Amino acid sequence: MSLFSSLSVSASGMAAQRTRAALLVENIANAETTRTQDGGPYRRKDAIFQTAPVASDFASELDSQLQTGVMVSAISIDPRPPEKQYAPGHPDADADGYVSMPHMNPAEDMVDLTGANRSYQANVAAISSVKDMIQKTIDLLRA
Amino acid sequence: MIDSLTNSLQHYMDLLTMRQKLVASNIANADTPGYKTQDIDFQTSLESVMDGGIPHQVEVKGLTIKNDGNNVDLDREARLLAENDLRFSIATNLMKGAFATVKEAIKENL
Repeated sequence: MSLFSSLSVSASGMAAQRTRAALLVENIANAETTRTQDGGPYRRKDAIFQTAPVASDFASELDSQLQTGVMVSAISIDPRPPEKQYAPGHPDADADGYVSMPHMNPAEDMVDLTGANRSYQANVAAISSVKDMIQKTIDLLRA
Repeated sequence: MIDSLTNSLQHYMDLLTMRQKLVASNIANADTPGYKTQDIDFQTSLESVMDGGIPHQVEVKGLTIKNDGNNVDLDREARLLAENDLRFSIATNLMKGAFATVKEAIKENL
């Protein structure tokens, strides 16, 4: 049993939260994007999390059952229809003068971003605590 | 290990390590839909590990379940993180003391 594998668990949490934060930032940056490669306006993305075993060559069977990391299993794309905005002068306006804008709620993204930030910090705290325990075990050798 | 005290301490530290691992998993999965908080039943686990058994892993009851089926409480995990750290610190300090005693005995013989 080793404390080192806990570090991998927390690291997987940090990676997942970082991916989530990256998607949220992308959403905010594209809040008014009307053209995408797939056609149509930008659609809000979000990360879906799933538990994942943290593989280690040295982990025993019991160990691998005990530790559950996390990974981004899918990226969901907002199914809500785009918002119509009346802007006849816009090059992407339809025949009636309406432009399809991304369905975006900045508050939603900012709140999620705060959540991702908080979870990331919690993982960092877990890493430093485990590091502390490892250091104390190493210090036993110096007693 | 050296004697029954260090033996017990070793089991205690093993168990704390395992618990810390579960806390790290809980924190990493704080936003995973459907994830349930994992913990070990410390008392029964310590008794069983002392007898050469394996620890009892349990799902924690009584936590608020969020809309996505997840019931991780970050404040609870933060408390356990700190608690495990301190308990581990006590164990290593006791272990240090046990080692120092042995070292002293070796020195006197020189």
